[in-house]
Amino acid sequence: MNKLTSYIQQQRQNKPLLMMTHVVYGYPNIEKSLEIMQLMLEKGVEILEVQFPFSDPVADGPTITTACHHALEHKPTLSQCLKDIKKLAQQYPDSRMLLMSYLNPLLQPGFESLAEQMGDDIVGVIIPDLPIDHHDMLTPLTDKGISPIWLITPDMHEDRIRLVTEQAQGMLYCVSRSGVTGQLAAGEDSARMQHMQRYLKTIRQSTPLPLAVGFGINSSEDIAALKGHADVAIVGSAFLNAFNNNGLEAVSHKLKELQA
Amino acid sequence: MNDEGRFGQYGGSFIPEILYSSQQQLLKAYREAMADTSFVQLVKSEMQDFSGRPTPLTYCANLTKTIGGAQIYLKREDLNHSGAHKMNNVIGQGLLAKRMGKTRIIAETGAGQHGVASALVAARLGLECTVYMGAHDIERQYPNVFWMKQLGATVVPVTTGAATLKDALDEALRDWSSSYEDTHYLIGTSCGCAPYPEMVAGFQSVIGEEVKEQSIQQFVRYPDRIYACVGGGSNACGIFLPFVDTQTELVGVEAGGRSNAPGDHAMRFNTDQARFGIAQGFATRFLQDSEGQLQPTHSISAGLDYVGVSPILADLEEKGKVRMTSANDNEVIEAFKMLTRHEGIIPALESSHAVAGALREAAGMSAEEYIVINISGRGDKDIFNIAKALNDEPFTDFLHAYLKEETAQ
Repeated sequence: MNKLTSYIQQQRQNKPLLMMTHVVYGYPNIEKSLEIMQLMLEKGVEILEVQFPFSDPVADGPTITTACHHALEHKPTLSQCLKDIKKLAQQYPDSRMLLMSYLNPLLQPGFESLAEQMGDDIVGVIIPDLPIDHHDMLTPLTDKGISPIWLITPDMHEDRIRLVTEQAQGMLYCVSRSGVTGQLAAGEDSARMQHMQRYLKTIRQSTPLPLAVGFGINSSEDIAALKGHADVAIVGSAFLNAFNNNGLEAVSHKLKELQA
Repeated sequence: MNDEGRFGQYGGSFIPEILYSSQQQLLKAYREAMADTSFVQLVKSEMQDFSGRPTPLTYCANLTKTIGGAQIYLKREDLNHSGAHKMNNVIGQGLLAKRMGKTRIIAETGAGQHGVASALVAARLGLECTVYMGAHDIERQYPNVFWMKQLGATVVPVTTGAATLKDALDEALRDWSSSYEDTHYLIGTSCGCAPYPEMVAGFQSVIGEEVKEQSIQQFVRYPDRIYACVGGGSNACGIFLPFVDTQTELVGVEAGGRSNAPGDHAMRFNTDQARFGIAQGFATRFLQDSEGQLQPTHSISAGLDYVGVSPILADLEEKGKVRMTSANDNEVIEAFKMLTRHEGIIPALESSHAVAGALREAAGMSAEEYIVINISGRGDKDIFNIAKALNDEPFTDFLHAYLKEETAQ
């Protein structure tokens, strides 16, 4: 069975919901970003998504975009990023590591070399500007057992959901609403939550894969609403905002709040 | 173009999944509209009645004599309403947005020409309009921002990244990701995901179609060469595409900027700083570093400093059907002066690149050869930048006096 799927299923046996957190490699600088990752892993975050920054992150909102642009000032390289996070993955074998980036930085080494560099330590990759129609491009990764994590969006047509579930491995990344990462839609309320729960139920019926839910998850209420409906809660911008407010301490605080 | 919007290895659709259904809706609506003769007729009559088409093909007797080579003609896109070829595209897409039942358009703009054109068409068609513009470009092109606001558009300064055109494009895509139900993203150049490159080039092709007729009328054959400046590539696609696979040689002129150093120019061809990449929804030649990060650009003209280029042009260049050259900032100012003095036509700095590229080669051609230069826009908007480049001190005095008067009031 797929490495990521079996990990999530095994973890879920005694946890109602796993947490996947997100860190931009190189923000505020490379060393500090590794410290943030280490802190999260130390606190038992199950899945860590590391974003290798790109100059034009069109699927990201202002918080992550700004962080990416700052990170780029430190001239991060993808190969060093992979080395750094592999080391962390080996240090924390009870958690799993995913790479997230846009197509263009990943095209530079090419997917053959990327698969080689990711090895066994980085179990999946998220590429927000690669549509499912081009899944063939990722064959070198899937051949090595690395899962491409595909996105499902709220107004996605049934046929297209099927296209995704046919190709998907590891888990599905369910986007909770339209827009980009981080921003909160107007009128976040119980009606919206109910809508999301219905949406997750629909997807659940079409695939046995674990469901991870992201975009705008910020509070313990958001997390509570996902329990029983999803397998993994994805929290990205909320940790970045916390870090921007008060550094590692605030990240630690936010983790405690969301893990409670 | 094939069904996926590919042009050779370029083009395609590489957009976040959230935009998939709105992109598909647009593709379908565009195909249906273009197959509907009443829509095509509506676009044509709006181009005439609102924008003043057809634009003239003007013979330059003085310039031809001075240069002493080929016969020089200008395609006068500067005479469009709004003063630039951008109008052709916004009329087409504006009417399409209306037909799709959208109530709002969003646009990205570099020099501001596309922003103004979008705001004009939005006002005419009763559409709400939001324009994303790099904060750096707003500083350089405030008069255009002023007009957009007068036309009722909301101008949003984009401060991320280099705060220029590519960043404005990113931000417009982000807006579209949450607003696609009532909003049409009116891309200003023949870039982006399918069907934008084909659609924008299609609406702009009226330029080349007119040149075909006018050249036959005026000198009984097609021109030997056509020159156009290349930023995103919409005016070049517009005048080139009807001539692809004819005897006419098609020459694109890019922004050579200050120097060949990275960040000092906006050349996507004839440099190893640019190569195949996928970003901003499509594949093309992008200026990028070894890590695949898109690079900052420079040009004396805000409209030519895009980091990528139309996938249509990338493909045509690769196939040898379009030749790419460049003109640097100094050559552009010289070309600007030549045309202004000899012909009484004030070209935009963007278009002055095409003039520079053409004048450089025209001298070596014979008097039996004909060239057409696409004057994509007029230069009035560039008054501040040109006055600065020409070190016109009285202009600076004027600005000081104007500001003093403002403060006194």
